[in-house]
Amino acid sequence: MTTLDIAWPQMAVLYGLCLLPWLLLGLAGLRLNKTIAISIVRMSVQLGLVGVYLKTLFNLNDPWLNGLWILLMLVVADVSILQRAGLKIRYFMLCTFTAIAFSTVFATGYLVVLVIRPASYFDAHYIVPLAGMMLGNSLQSNVIALERFYASLRKNDSEYLTFLLLGATHWEAVRPYFRMAITAAISPTLAGMATMGLVSLPGMMTGQILGGSEPWLAVKYQIAIMICLFASTTLACIINLKLSLKIAFNSYDVLKEEVMKTP
Amino acid sequence: MPDIIQFNQVTVIAGQNKTLLSDITFTLQTGAKLALCGKSGAGKSTVLKTLLGLHPLASGSVHFNGRPLNASTIAAIRSQAAYIGQEPVLAADTVHEALLLPFQFKARRSHKPTKAQIDAVLARLYLPQAILGQACGQISGGEKQRIALARGLLLGNTLFLLDEVTSALDPESKQAVLKVFADPSLTVLSVTHDADWLAQCSRVLEFEAGRIIMDTRKDSHHDHT
Repeated sequence: MTTLDIAWPQMAVLYGLCLLPWLLLGLAGLRLNKTIAISIVRMSVQLGLVGVYLKTLFNLNDPWLNGLWILLMLVVADVSILQRAGLKIRYFMLCTFTAIAFSTVFATGYLVVLVIRPASYFDAHYIVPLAGMMLGNSLQSNVIALERFYASLRKNDSEYLTFLLLGATHWEAVRPYFRMAITAAISPTLAGMATMGLVSLPGMMTGQILGGSEPWLAVKYQIAIMICLFASTTLACIINLKLSLKIAFNSYDVLKEEVMKTP
Repeated sequence: MPDIIQFNQVTVIAGQNKTLLSDITFTLQTGAKLALCGKSGAGKSTVLKTLLGLHPLASGSVHFNGRPLNASTIAAIRSQAAYIGQEPVLAADTVHEALLLPFQFKARRSHKPTKAQIDAVLARLYLPQAILGQACGQISGGEKQRIALARGLLLGNTLFLLDEVTSALDPESKQAVLKVFADPSLTVLSVTHDADWLAQCSRVLEFEAGRIIMDTRKDSHHDHT
């Protein structure tokens, strides 16, 4: 089975489907015209660009170019995580980069080298989309981990200092907030795994089936992806939080306010 | 008696050039009771927090047992001193858990108090044994202060940094607390406005706008500004 192409007139028909929710939202008095238009245009342009670069990467299939592309994705993810977590980029850039780079390379490498085992480990068809998926999932989880950890520390600063003043080591004093942040960060991935196939069919599996794969093959790939997403997300969050402790606290274990974006 | 704490021309500046302490010099001997008084915002609590490493020094020096303030001295102060604020954070669900909280930490795990020791400390502070089962959120401010004091006593601390600890106490409880700190083996640096507490202190430093404006010693009756 081959995937049927969607011709341009049919693409126009597809965009026409947006008119229905747009009309209903308008009737409900929600003034979301601009937001809807921006979202649809952004999605189309961004995915169009993805199509262009993936086609180029697949055609060239140069290991160095693939590596460079993954590096670029890591840098963009790094900046995006810190911006959304409310931390100053210049202080945490290196530790967040280390965490997401290590976890992404480790999980993607594990999947490609030990599980999928293609003819070339650096084949763009495998490493670029897989690394992208690992990174996409890590991004959201790292935002949650950093944001929750530092927000709860600041909110409970009296409690944290009480732990220190009662003889706790720095690690013992931050551990309750660390555990809470990691739990919050990996919960969406765990919940996704627990309900997978019951609530909805996963996007990647659906894509593979539409692309002509056997359902069992698609299922195996989906399981492989979910396990690697879980591993890479957990690794990234733990490494990121642990490394950030060295930067965010002074030598007396007091949180440095200057590393936070908001006072 | 040897000096346990020495502040030498200490200045503390916070944020955008806001001076919290200016040129503060004093010493505290082992077993002494020193009170810091003055209006709100005068810098009294900042002295305690500076000693605990919560405010960096802009200039001057602080020594603890003859050693300058650094990461290891701060760790020593935090393990040897009990800090009790106006609204102590018990950081536990029940009073019993609050009392045992410090003994969960590695450094104190082997020094867990016995039931008899807990009961004896509660009795010293006029606290009933039944309070052990109560939720920390349901006890009064005065009881919280005494539970925090009890925790410090169970830890065997001999240096107490107290910030208005008698503010929420009834007269009877206050007398119990005063009696505890009359012990000559305990060194006390306290922020207070309480007349009974001041009467028990060997020295009183009065603060205004981050400076010491009066130093009163009970033994020599020596005042200066």
